[in-house]
Amino acid sequence: MTATPLQADAGRPIRPPRSRLLPLGLVVSAAITWWAASDDFGVGFSLGEIIDNLTRGHRVLREVLSPNWAFFPQTVDPLLETFKMAIIASVIGCGVALPLSFLASKVTTPNSVTYLVDRGVLNVIRALPDLLYALVLVTAIGIGPLAGIIALILFNLAVTAKLLSETIDGVDTGPSEAAWAGGASRTQMIRSSVFPQILPNYIAYVLYVFELNVRASAVIGLVGAGGIGFVLQVQMGFFAYENVAVIVAELFVAVFLIELVSIRLRRRLV
Amino acid sequence: MARSPSKVVDGQTRPAPPSRFQSKALALLVVALIVWSVVTIDVDLERLIDLPARLGDSIRRMFLPPDWGYTGRAVEGMIESIQIAWIGTLIGAALSLPLGFLGAKNVSAGPVSSIIRQILNGIRAIPELVLAVVIFIPILGLGPFAGTMAIGIHSIGTLGKLTAEVVEGVDPGPVEAARASGASQVQTLRWGVLPQVLPDIVAFWLYRFEINIRAAAILGIVGAGGVGAILQNTLTFRRWELAGTTVIVIIIATIAIDYVSAAVRRRIIEGGAHRQRADVIEQPELAVT
Repeated sequence: MTATPLQADAGRPIRPPRSRLLPLGLVVSAAITWWAASDDFGVGFSLGEIIDNLTRGHRVLREVLSPNWAFFPQTVDPLLETFKMAIIASVIGCGVALPLSFLASKVTTPNSVTYLVDRGVLNVIRALPDLLYALVLVTAIGIGPLAGIIALILFNLAVTAKLLSETIDGVDTGPSEAAWAGGASRTQMIRSSVFPQILPNYIAYVLYVFELNVRASAVIGLVGAGGIGFVLQVQMGFFAYENVAVIVAELFVAVFLIELVSIRLRRRLV
Repeated sequence: MARSPSKVVDGQTRPAPPSRFQSKALALLVVALIVWSVVTIDVDLERLIDLPARLGDSIRRMFLPPDWGYTGRAVEGMIESIQIAWIGTLIGAALSLPLGFLGAKNVSAGPVSSIIRQILNGIRAIPELVLAVVIFIPILGLGPFAGTMAIGIHSIGTLGKLTAEVVEGVDPGPVEAARASGASQVQTLRWGVLPQVLPDIVAFWLYRFEINIRAAAILGIVGAGGVGAILQNTLTFRRWELAGTTVIVIIIATIAIDYVSAAVRRRIIEGGAHRQRADVIEQPELAVT
């Protein structure tokens, strides 16, 4: 055979140049990791400490694994309160998010000033986690579900507006061009050509946010913002881990059921 | 079942519109739930009327003006939160990678992948705060290490699920090519699967890092390190101007990290100039949290 190596190579595409950013990125990541894990500057990560102390948690863990089911009746009302808080906060938060999302998408915003201002405000709201809102609000307006509801509203508003404005960015522009060509005003254009396209996604986000709220209720209650989390906080204060286990199990089941229902609903919608 | 009534329009028979009964019943149920919640929720009307004034008052005390002298202390706390989030994300990433591959139906055996998926779902359902309080603070004591572990373990749930989903979605071509040329199972994964999924997976890690920054900011409330403890202290003592400074530091740091991380994610997914891809996963948020 006389096939030359040259011929074998001829059909191959040229190798792309190696990225110079990749080694740099790896080195930077390694440096951050060393700094953040170190005992002197960072969190003091050590595998040995975990292994040495693994048995220290056994008392708590044993109590958690033997839940006191007699505690269950006392948790029903707080759990219902959690649901009510989640429902109210989802309705208000997602309701307010709808107009804000239209302002925060290039497809539907009337001018760049409202666009930038709206995006800025949403970014700031999104930067704080729900529990910090709850902490500030409980101090400002007192312990109870009201502080929790407002914290959840702010959180829902931020999440829904972000997801929805991105959905609006991605709509098919054909219908809206047709609406413009037919002489529609901006509101009419949104109503007739954008809104029907995003409605299934919007409802899916509302369900998703509701699910997140039930999850979040466990943590926002810790600072006194009502719901099942408040009971959790009290029981943890007493070190009554067998009761804590009941609450965690309930939340587990509640979240699982909501997920099941919302997956079925979403599948029908989207 | 009786045949649905048909209308004759323009000489053609049109099918009757589908029944709206189900959606109407559903809508009614939703409205009833909302009304029930609003009517029975335990909120005083008086407090609701008071609300704007009290909120306005708190905001004024926090931000007009904040105490800039406290910035150093707040930044220290925020840096600790960032460290917790970084190491926590790395722990989650390292542990979720093998679990994600084992949870993918096209890579591992059927029963194994279902069991792994259920475990991942279970981990996902327990909030990091609960993990910190129930497991890691008893083991490791109060402090940032407990918070780091809580975030790391919780992250496994979502990262593992996303990894498994990406692996299940690979193009089978390269995998078949590797098999056809005699690659072992491990070699197939290394050369057929990993190059396809790695950019997406690293992007998920970065996205999780952004989420974990927020989680690490609240862990201090249960004593697991980070800026949360500082905010809680200032609020307990009603030092509103100090709380204001802390809130501003948290907001600026979070937005800055979001921005950098989003830019890196975009670079990883889209590649350099020579490699363009259309399916950029910008916001896996719906699947993540």
